[in-house]
Amino acid sequence: MNKLLITVGFIVMILAQWFVPGQMIYEQEQVLSEGTPYKFRTVPLDPNDPFRGKFIMLNYEMNKVKKPSEEVDYDEDVYVYIETDKNGFAMATHASQKAIDTDQDYVIVEPNGVYEDSLNFSLPFNIHYMDEGKAYNAEVAVREATRDSLLVNCYGLVYVKGDRAVLSDVFVNEVPIKDYVNTEK
Amino acid sequence: MNSKLQQEVSKLVEAQVISLEVAQDIKSYYNSKEDTSSNRLFIIFGVLGSVLVGMGIILILAHNWDDFSRGTKTIWAFIPLVVGQLAVGYALFKKKGVTWREASATFLFFAFGASIALVGQIYNIPGSMPSFLLSWTVLAAPLIYLLKSQAAALLYMVFSMAYACSLGYFNVHSPWWYLIMLLWIVPHYYKQLKERPLENLTGIWNWVVPLSLLISLGAFVSGDDSIGFLMYVALFGLFYNIGKLSFFTGKKLRVNGYLLLGSIGTITTLLIVSFKWFWADSSESLVSSQDLIITGVLLAAGLAVLIYLFQKKQLRPFNLFQYAFLIFTSIYFIRFISPEIPMILTNLLVFGLGVFAVHIGSSRGMFSILNYGLLIITMLIGCRFFDTEISYVIRGLLFLVIGAGFFGANYLMHKKQQKQNTSENE
Repeated sequence: MNKLLITVGFIVMILAQWFVPGQMIYEQEQVLSEGTPYKFRTVPLDPNDPFRGKFIMLNYEMNKVKKPSEEVDYDEDVYVYIETDKNGFAMATHASQKAIDTDQDYVIVEPNGVYEDSLNFSLPFNIHYMDEGKAYNAEVAVREATRDSLLVNCYGLVYVKGDRAVLSDVFVNEVPIKDYVNTEK
Repeated sequence: MNSKLQQEVSKLVEAQVISLEVAQDIKSYYNSKEDTSSNRLFIIFGVLGSVLVGMGIILILAHNWDDFSRGTKTIWAFIPLVVGQLAVGYALFKKKGVTWREASATFLFFAFGASIALVGQIYNIPGSMPSFLLSWTVLAAPLIYLLKSQAAALLYMVFSMAYACSLGYFNVHSPWWYLIMLLWIVPHYYKQLKERPLENLTGIWNWVVPLSLLISLGAFVSGDDSIGFLMYVALFGLFYNIGKLSFFTGKKLRVNGYLLLGSIGTITTLLIVSFKWFWADSSESLVSSQDLIITGVLLAAGLAVLIYLFQKKQLRPFNLFQYAFLIFTSIYFIRFISPEIPMILTNLLVFGLGVFAVHIGSSRGMFSILNYGLLIITMLIGCRFFDTEISYVIRGLLFLVIGAGFFGANYLMHKKQQKQNTSENE
């Protein structure tokens, strides 16, 4: 193969291999620094991923909203508009399959189905990667605290900006979950 | 050169069978051969080392070191990538040997995967497994041509197949990107076939490519309708006919993955659809247009290879296996008239293929093909015991007959070969 072609190919490959993770970082950092934080009440579960390691799967309390007036296409995402309720947690106000011209923040979700007059959905930012020794303990700690009817206030802190939402951390009683696991030992 | 061979060469020189120069030539020939085999070993260990180190890095990073800050973890995400890219650059521009090229390409393949996995982990990006595998494989793809790396090409095939399976199986989505990924590997595979037809690695490629297609095809089947079986029979028919192209004929059967997969696949699928339930259940099912198009494309491709073989006058002697997919296609569409007729015809087709394999085996004096044919007939009879009401005595007698057939056919062929050998010796 031509030397010039090899050099150009090599440089393009290197740039592309930097561009993809670089762009991922840039997008997430932009939301974290400029987005609005919301607290989403949640319960953690503990699965794992062969390449990215252990994570806790977040089962959010906010999983339905009043169904939009138009017919829902389940292959298309839905815009769920949110605001903060009187306790400081995220609350879904209304939903639409097309973006509405408003300043109100929204999250883009996958619709699961309609039950009576509610639209059920799954929030996309439901994965929080953790130290492999802590993921299972985190799940157990929260489950046991809930069973003992202690005051458990578990939420995911999510930054929202435009179409993007980034899960920054998960808190249990205002303590980051990785530290909460240590205090519970 | 081993000492035994050295002694033999010395003896030949002493006995004046060969001259000193010839002895020298023989020695240098064997020494150079040793060089290439030790080189090959170096390449294999280099690649294995890179695979293990690369996977080790992925696992260490997957621990999720949450004591480090986001910035520190991000820097760590890029370190393996930089090391891999430097190694590849060094191998490329310093024109290093095959070992360097293969090992550095393998390492960078994994380092890039580790890098995007770690960034995803640091920022809790909920990206799905298929999209992760897709970006990983596509961005590592240039390694195949830049470094002419076989290891990177094989890893690419494995990961593109993993992408297709993780997206398409148990899901409504079809992994269309997989087809584009396959196109990318075509020039590499073609070059391998053309330039190194006798290498072991080419034999491996002749298995990897059809296996990848076979496994990934299921990811495109959109419904649970019966046309999926026709699709597979069409694919196996295409494989079998590709295996009959002049490029593969005359080579060892074990390097012809197309022919073996095509033959065994056709028989297995036809045995499955020889049951009554298949035709009874499937007569009313709806067919998705995507399944219909894929089946049509596979049938057309199989037919195109057959026409090519006909034009090249390579369809003689007649081989029923080459036409089985077309016969089954006609049978499949009779199901709209009545479910019984196609069932009977499919059984006859399998029986015919079994008899034909016995015929090929006995005429070519090949025990393996003869017994393969007998096995097909035995399996067909075995299957029929599940959905037909036959008394145990008759079933037992049938098995006795088949068993005796196995003994008889093998014995007769053995005798025939002995007779041939003695007449040749005389």
